[in-house]
Amino acid sequence: MNADTAVLCGLGTWLPPHAVTNDDLARELDTSDDWIRSRTGIGTRYVAAPSTATSDLAVEAGRRALKSAGFESVDAVVLATTTPDHPCPATAPLVATQLGLGTVAAFDVGAVCTGFLYALAVGAGLIAAGTAGSVLVIGADMYSSILDPADRSTRAIFGDGAGAVVLRSGGADEPGALGTPVLGSDGTGSDLITIRSGGSREPLGTIGAGHPDPYFRMAGKAVFRNAVERMADASLTAARRVGWAADDIDRLVAHQANLRILHAVADRMRLPRHRCPVHLDQVGNTAAASIPLALSHAVTTGRLAPGHRTLLTAFGGGLTWGACAVRWPTITPV
Amino acid sequence: MTSTYDRLVGLLAKSFGIEADEVAPANTFEDLELDSLALVELTLAAQEEFGITLTDDDLHAKSSLTEAAEVLDAKQVTV
Repeated sequence: MNADTAVLCGLGTWLPPHAVTNDDLARELDTSDDWIRSRTGIGTRYVAAPSTATSDLAVEAGRRALKSAGFESVDAVVLATTTPDHPCPATAPLVATQLGLGTVAAFDVGAVCTGFLYALAVGAGLIAAGTAGSVLVIGADMYSSILDPADRSTRAIFGDGAGAVVLRSGGADEPGALGTPVLGSDGTGSDLITIRSGGSREPLGTIGAGHPDPYFRMAGKAVFRNAVERMADASLTAARRVGWAADDIDRLVAHQANLRILHAVADRMRLPRHRCPVHLDQVGNTAAASIPLALSHAVTTGRLAPGHRTLLTAFGGGLTWGACAVRWPTITPV
Repeated sequence: MTSTYDRLVGLLAKSFGIEADEVAPANTFEDLELDSLALVELTLAAQEEFGITLTDDDLHAKSSLTEAAEVLDAKQVTV
């Protein structure tokens, strides 16, 4: 039997303990619970303590995913994040060490909110190539460290969090086997989701560089439309790759960007909206962590069950997008 | 055959719960309190309804429903 397919066999998540409600934000910014809910569907998000770094969140989620899988070791760690502990080096090696995984391969993947999907595809590729027999794929982001404190639109949307899955080599017919991932990008939209300053194009501290902007910015309207079209189309392509028609899709677990985006994606795919689990109302948009967090929530609330023909899809800065099919396995999220 | 204007009013009802008797041809989307995201949602819904491709600027806040119906008509002719 071939054992070069990646099989999802563990799921773990972590949220920092401090919840920030819409009313909390309204005390500080010109906004309101109504304004935020009607535009985004978000009610609460979690914010890490200032002494925390992305690796701390990633380690917690990674430890839980390993426990969920019953694994003590893996051959590689792939971490998706937009908020690494430092610009250099990558955060994944430190995470691997803190998880007691020794000298395994470990690196970061940068695809903003699509990061988890890209990391999942890379992890599946390591397994298909025979480089690794098992991979810990983590999505962890701490957007609280890159948001403009005065920007009510991004502060209402983003929350901190981490989620992880364990992939192992197996057969294509097993529950949890990943379909062939669909990935895409479009650099013509590279200015829609940005942190302008602090990279090689505009290093911080350069004399005469004008006004540096070290904060995360997003052009909401253009992003909205791109997100809907790209996620819906990538999802249908990923479904076709495993032989599913649109109506065969039991659950579409999409990047939790905005409730209105989730609804528009479902509408474009002609999928009943209730097949798209919603988690953003409780945690906001957690960027690379959103899909594992939404999966865990859907399983523990009974909305996602073993055997469900499930599609994962995401869209993010770059622009980037992706989708992947999986028949949901019997696993217990930790 | 249902006119483009009537189909547009139907989309407003379906997508945003704005009933036909609440709107007039001279109303702009702004009058109907559609925010910028709602205009994107309407753009996506209109593409599906009419089988056309719209740019981000085809439907804007200051468009009246009559003007928007003309834009949709023009797109259908050129397809």
